[in-house]
Amino acid sequence: MKSLLASLALSTALTLPGLAMARPVTLTTTLTNYGGPGAYLALYVTDSTGAYAGSLWMAGGKSKYYKHLTDWHRATGGNTSEINGITGASVGAGRTLTINLDLADALFDAGYTLHIDGAVEDYRDSPNEIKLPLTTDGAGKPVTGRRYVASFQYDM
Amino acid sequence: MKKTLTLLAATTALCAGLSAPVWSTIRADASGEYPFAAMVERGQDALQVILASARDDDDDHEYRSGSRERYDDDDDDDDDDCEDEDGDDDDCGTKIGNAAPAGPVTPPNNGLFAPGTKPQVDVK
Repeated sequence: MKSLLASLALSTALTLPGLAMARPVTLTTTLTNYGGPGAYLALYVTDSTGAYAGSLWMAGGKSKYYKHLTDWHRATGGNTSEINGITGASVGAGRTLTINLDLADALFDAGYTLHIDGAVEDYRDSPNEIKLPLTTDGAGKPVTGRRYVASFQYDM
Repeated sequence: MKKTLTLLAATTALCAGLSAPVWSTIRADASGEYPFAAMVERGQDALQVILASARDDDDDHEYRSGSRERYDDDDDDDDDDCEDEDGDDDDCGTKIGNAAPAGPVTPPNNGLFAPGTKPQVDVK
């Protein structure tokens, strides 16, 4: 019994700091009615120097098309290990993609920028469709994309 | 009797028609003349098989082309070898495999996600 309590206390002690350092964030992306097939979208983050920090989500499952997400592809070399476990289907025109995830607290108000690259079959590629600094003030404020994204916002 | 003669004449004519070019070709080896074979040879020019080029100039690997100006298809056959309607996950010969989908696999440890958490995604 004593050892059970001890292990419970230990696991709680180890888990709590992790939870305290993360916050639930909802990323909402609504596409325009561009009239084409499903869009591939890469959501990723760069740090204050503009260097690639990591990917948050990849909408579109076939790696052969990732080269059209040009900025993401340039940053990662198309390395699919960057998006293992965070890949889903492409998003149809006019539809809304909602992603709920727990993001590290350190990403906010620290110079990190969220980017979205977009690509649609037989349409123009759209790198940096969205480029939005991650700040607590910026939460809940929708922005418009350049070509395929009608609106994007993150909520905390 | 008349019927038999007609049949005999017909088969003789048929055999003669078929064997004449063959005989002509064999004989030409010695004489250099091609009385019937020449006709056959002339016909061969028209029936030449033209092999298609291996390069079909379509943009099979530019499926998700960013610019129509750069990657427009020249042919109108509307084929696209990489466009799979069958739903398989072929990658058109590239060595890069597809990424693991969300769900069974945990997100990469890139410091962006809280450890052990998985994104919840919905498309409407």
